[in-house]
Amino acid sequence: MTLSICHMRIHDRHSSPLVRTARCLLAVLCLLLAAWVLPWLYRFATAGKQDTPFALYSHITGGFAFAGRSGGQARYYGADGQEFSESAFDSILPFFYFRQLTADGRFPDSISGVAVTPYDVQRSNFTFRTTPQECNRKGVPLYPLLESRSGRVDLTMPDDVFRMERRMEFIDMGSNSVNEDKSRAFTSMLEKKGFAFPPSLIAGNGTARKEYDNGYMMTDAAGKLYNVRMQAGRPYVRPIAMPDGVCPAHMAVTEFRARDMLAFLFDTQGRFWVLTSEYDMMQVEIPPFYPERMSMVIIGNMFDWTIRVVADDGEHLYAVDAQTLERIGTYTFPQPEPSVAERIGKYLLPVKLTFLSAKDRDVYPRFSFFSE
Amino acid sequence: MIQALLYKEYIKTRAAYALLAALLWGICIYLSLNVHRIAGIKGAAHLWEVAISRDAIFVQWLKFVPLIAGILAGVAQFVPEMVQKRLKLTLHLPCSCTASAGTMLTYGAAALSAIYAVDFLILNIALGKVFAEEIVSRILMTALPWHLAGVTAYLLTAWVILEPAWKVRVFNMGISALLIRLFFLSDTPEAYNRFIPILAITAAVTASFPFISVDRFKAGRE
Repeated sequence: MTLSICHMRIHDRHSSPLVRTARCLLAVLCLLLAAWVLPWLYRFATAGKQDTPFALYSHITGGFAFAGRSGGQARYYGADGQEFSESAFDSILPFFYFRQLTADGRFPDSISGVAVTPYDVQRSNFTFRTTPQECNRKGVPLYPLLESRSGRVDLTMPDDVFRMERRMEFIDMGSNSVNEDKSRAFTSMLEKKGFAFPPSLIAGNGTARKEYDNGYMMTDAAGKLYNVRMQAGRPYVRPIAMPDGVCPAHMAVTEFRARDMLAFLFDTQGRFWVLTSEYDMMQVEIPPFYPERMSMVIIGNMFDWTIRVVADDGEHLYAVDAQTLERIGTYTFPQPEPSVAERIGKYLLPVKLTFLSAKDRDVYPRFSFFSE
Repeated sequence: MIQALLYKEYIKTRAAYALLAALLWGICIYLSLNVHRIAGIKGAAHLWEVAISRDAIFVQWLKFVPLIAGILAGVAQFVPEMVQKRLKLTLHLPCSCTASAGTMLTYGAAALSAIYAVDFLILNIALGKVFAEEIVSRILMTALPWHLAGVTAYLLTAWVILEPAWKVRVFNMGISALLIRLFFLSDTPEAYNRFIPILAITAAVTASFPFISVDRFKAGRE
């Protein structure tokens, strides 16, 4: 850059205004490229490794249990520092390691006085994951609506997809043409149930790789919540009452094996709600969670859920009771101190320009100032 | 004079542009026919499904072709000027250097843009027969930064080739490589939608760089 700018200066007095402007633009562009490349090179050269241990809430010990590595060795321990052997670790997490316990003949007959079988555990276990990247993903606004009551064990993908704009419009994929009859039937059913087009949110799992289908959760233009399915080829639309002040910002149709839930909802105030199969809404007692900028993993079983939240202020663990959804445990992983290289880099390269982010898949310029 | 200059550029580059057009349009036609062939074998529903659920865009092969075409167009237009010492003559025509260089660059960028526009036309018509407009628009919006990269690469190639000093030419190449990298940071469909206006401005800014090289050439820098 210095080389080029020196060359530029020599002729500045004789150059045309266009050339002078071009040189200024080139200098600005060089500075922007430097703000992009230099911090990247610095991070590349100084990046350290960060490991967070695997953690689950143990119904047996009543606290969090961790599995990590220390000095190259696997280490199993509780939040109170108690150490476990590998097989003891399996025993305190019977819902997660039920296959190992069953293979060893160590699976208990009952847990907390409740008779359990490996089948019960398998049926009630679930995993749910949401990341900002996935949440902020802009997919094709076309959705396959599967048959919810086919009477068959295996689901099959439909021959059409729908779009939701001024009406619910089904497009036959083979002929790339609108199926007017089906579009009319679904649109009139939605309108009959008070649905105001266009929808503001649509959530569903448009895949046949699941055990059953619960259709789509939608919020209409007025923010009202609906469950839309196709049952025996006919529209099924169910308006769902929400507690006052709840305005869903993100939704996920669960379709877990236990069939006790319909969807997870995250509202604009960061509250996390569970919509049960009876269409009741229950709030999960965790601090505000915003899926567009925070990630969450839930590992649930019939007694409790372990919720791992990764936010800008660090990683947090919450345990909630599976029946009441009240919080029964909290743990925050200690934040690693910024390394010397990171602290120096903050002042050495005060302006950073990046184009990619872990929070979305979009490419656009993002400036940060004095960040580590 | 401008007309004469345009005619000169046309005579010089017509074969190169014809080849580039054949290459680009040929690839677009091939990719479109391939989509129709797969739709015939596996059914259109299969293609829709992978487009909706797996982010498939079916024209991935095209990714670097507009970029290569842009570089080749720049080479075909400006290398003969430098190797055969014709640029000196062009800059001594009875019109300003800015007008001469500007005409050459406008001709090249316009010809390239016209070829690229036909790319979009082919893809739009051919894919529109198989896919809904949402999928077609996603494919075209994903291909747009690749084509913008082509126009930018053409202008940067002109900047590099017209530069008389090798040391500065190497510096220009480095800056050009970084700028072009910006157009290929992500494979996610429509990831560039927010960035496209800024990329278009960047392309417009790079159009001024060849004038720096011409100015230096005129000043006799080596």
